[in-house]
Amino acid sequence: MAITSVKNLKEFSTANDRFEGAHTLCPGCAHSMIVRELMNCTDDNLVVTTNTGCLEVSTAVYPFTSWDTSWMHIGFENAASAAGGAEAMYKARKKKGTLKDPDAPVKFVAFGGDGSTFDIGFQWMSGAFERGHDFTYICLDNENYANTGGQRSSATPIGATTSTAQAGTHSYGKKEKKKDIVAIMAAHGAPYVAQLAPNKWKSMAKGFQKALETEGPCFINTVSPCCTEWRFDPKDTIGITDLATDSLMFPIYEIIDGHELNILYRPKNVIPVEDYLAAQGRYKHLFKPEYRHVIDEIQKGVDEYWEMLQRREEARV
Amino acid sequence: MQDPKLCATEKRGLHELEAGKDLMGWDEVTQGSVLPSFEGDASNIAHLKQEERDYSHFNSYTATVASWRVQKPVFNIDVCIDCQNCWVWCPDTSIISRDKQMLGIDYDHCKGCEVCVEVCPTNPKSLLMFSEQEDLETALSQWPEKKKKEK
Amino acid sequence: MAEKFDLNEREVWDGNYAASQAMRQAKVDVMAAYPITPSTPIVENYGAYVANGYIDGEFVMVESEHAAMSACVGASAAGGRVATATSSQGFALMVEVLYQASGMRLPIVLNVVNRALASPLNVRGDHADMYLGRDAGWIQFGAFNSQEAYDLALCAFKVAENHSVRLPVMIHQDGFITSHTAQNVYPLTDEAAYNFVGDIDPVDDMLDFSRPVTYGAQTEEDWHFEHKAKQHKAIMDSVPVIEEVFAEFEKISGRKYKRVETYMMEDAEVAIVALGTTVETSRVAAMKMREQGIKAGVVAPRVFRPFPFDLIRDALENVKSVAVLDRSSPGGAMGAFYNEISAALYTTPKRPLVTNYIYGLGGRDFAVQDAIDIYNEQKANADAGYITTDIQQFSGLRGPKLGFFQTKRS
Repeated sequence: MAITSVKNLKEFSTANDRFEGAHTLCPGCAHSMIVRELMNCTDDNLVVTTNTGCLEVSTAVYPFTSWDTSWMHIGFENAASAAGGAEAMYKARKKKGTLKDPDAPVKFVAFGGDGSTFDIGFQWMSGAFERGHDFTYICLDNENYANTGGQRSSATPIGATTSTAQAGTHSYGKKEKKKDIVAIMAAHGAPYVAQLAPNKWKSMAKGFQKALETEGPCFINTVSPCCTEWRFDPKDTIGITDLATDSLMFPIYEIIDGHELNILYRPKNVIPVEDYLAAQGRYKHLFKPEYRHVIDEIQKGVDEYWEMLQRREEARV
Repeated sequence: MQDPKLCATEKRGLHELEAGKDLMGWDEVTQGSVLPSFEGDASNIAHLKQEERDYSHFNSYTATVASWRVQKPVFNIDVCIDCQNCWVWCPDTSIISRDKQMLGIDYDHCKGCEVCVEVCPTNPKSLLMFSEQEDLETALSQWPEKKKKEK
Repeated sequence: MAEKFDLNEREVWDGNYAASQAMRQAKVDVMAAYPITPSTPIVENYGAYVANGYIDGEFVMVESEHAAMSACVGASAAGGRVATATSSQGFALMVEVLYQASGMRLPIVLNVVNRALASPLNVRGDHADMYLGRDAGWIQFGAFNSQEAYDLALCAFKVAENHSVRLPVMIHQDGFITSHTAQNVYPLTDEAAYNFVGDIDPVDDMLDFSRPVTYGAQTEEDWHFEHKAKQHKAIMDSVPVIEEVFAEFEKISGRKYKRVETYMMEDAEVAIVALGTTVETSRVAAMKMREQGIKAGVVAPRVFRPFPFDLIRDALENVKSVAVLDRSSPGGAMGAFYNEISAALYTTPKRPLVTNYIYGLGGRDFAVQDAIDIYNEQKANADAGYITTDIQQFSGLRGPKLGFFQTKRS
């Protein structure tokens, strides 16, 4: 694979963008930061498929496309199947010698939001992983159905308010814990699975490159703070991501071949989750006396998960 | 002071997204609503800078979202250390970096989110927000002095 | 290179096997499929070809029919030949993607072995699944026996991939009656079959990196209507291509296909209009009617979409009474097929009497005697000059007679 140097940002910045502006994602949206970085970390040709969601409805609004590579959207759930179909066709045509440029390197990438990844498209993704297509699936996890106005998904954390799991006088928002998608995808036996964040651009770029280089289906969950639905100022997207990674709400780690876990970022000073929650409107209600216990519960969950990750990393099994 | 059309080809930012006057009939829309991104052979696109590419009129490079902005970032090259933070985190492909140097803003595609200003590490910042109406020269003349560290 | 598959001049194949042989001979690049009764053997047979080296392409066994058609869409946009097969509930699960495939103008070939839709669950043949796909923007061919399932599958690729068409095509055959009944089939040689179908010439190829393309853009109120109109025009304009392909197929096989098949219609006074295996049953009944001096005929759209409005009128405008047979539960309306035939005949000078029979749901047998009864009712209508029965009736149903609406003509 022709990879772009990510040794430092100066070198990385020589990459020529293949994701164009004048898409209609919200100002400050992390989705496009993540997509740009993926496309900038390789020179190879890309075939990108995308589930229905913010990314899709904002980057191919007829008669405009923001994609400088081949790109396809079919439905809400099936970007993984589309990528798998295209990858199978690539193999068939390579074998039969019908490709226009048979030596041109190509990578297959599927994007989905957390709604399409954790919920409606889960089966399609799971099937594609079981079949072993050579592609990378990237989830842009903003923890809600942002495209349709912020409904709860199974990626929405406990305690967050969404339009369908609202905080009110009788509710502290979502009652259920977030689905552990990284563990689930690792359990598929995928050769490379990771959780990455755009504020840690280098580990994200390296993770993307590993996934693209690794043969077989690779899964990456990326933290994609949503200023609109998380309710923070668009300029703070990276700052919020810093709080997310430094509070360990979003630990940054990879799992190789379903078992070898490596923590990719250890905050020097771990901050309390309260600081992360306080920076977002979606958690505002938790600071009322009657709901403060939820913050404690969230902190406990984060501590336990971090402990588990560290033990798994040590155990090397 | 940067040229507002820095590194722009004549196609950059030509169209408003709501392309009312460009609507065409059923006989002229593309088959299967497929959109080709470029004119001519684009095999080498990953090795070409934006200004070297032949974008098709379907590419959103040829569209503008400048009207979304209320405020705009202004770039002060004298303070910049070329760290490329603004480049890596710009969500709108609007930081124009060439050969490891930050050159300025693509004002056709910038939405004014202010992320670039927020992630700029210099003191004073090399990017600051000004009213959309402010001209670049006046903005640069108002640049603040280096801030002293708070004790 | 694929191994050579030995074929006899005459084979004994069921409809499923016939369809799978056509897929093999067309050298499909990607077959993405999921099994479901009664089309499962198409997928299994193809799997056997893969296992024994008869296939060079990729065989992708997905986890659902929705994924099957989704993978077909991805594969087809990646520039090669693509086919799959399904039935019934699987077809229903695919429906979302059927619309997306045709909207993107992708030449996918889908073998549909028709079966009823639950509930209640039923694995036998009726046309509920075919009807579910009738507005999906696909060309739809109807095969009435195994030979036709084979022939039309080969024709389907050639029509779908034609640059002035670029639309997906379904070939329908009746569940079990065709799919599981072994019949004589005269296949083409592998060479003749492939020469007929030819190489696919990709359009908007996602793997042509000199020309990146975006598939599946969003079109709101400013654009959607124009795209759908263009797509409708394309399917309407596929008629001459379909006719050319049928003519070319006749040259190499001696077997002639028409958009509307007619039997004994030259002087017919009464006619049955039907789809699928019922056509052959009705032909036997029509011959028996003629022995009694009743001028009976049969009309059968070979091409269900684009709907042969023109040829239906030509075939039926001088008939006195027409029975349109719908093998799908109409769910609170006249049968859909009846409505389409009636609309065509309403624009003819003589406006024949048209009645509607709902029959054969869930694989209920439709016997020659059932067709004879229908002809006799048409004869009574023809003699009276108006519809003497309920306009919509159920044929072959147990319990009290079920029918709806009476004519206002006298």
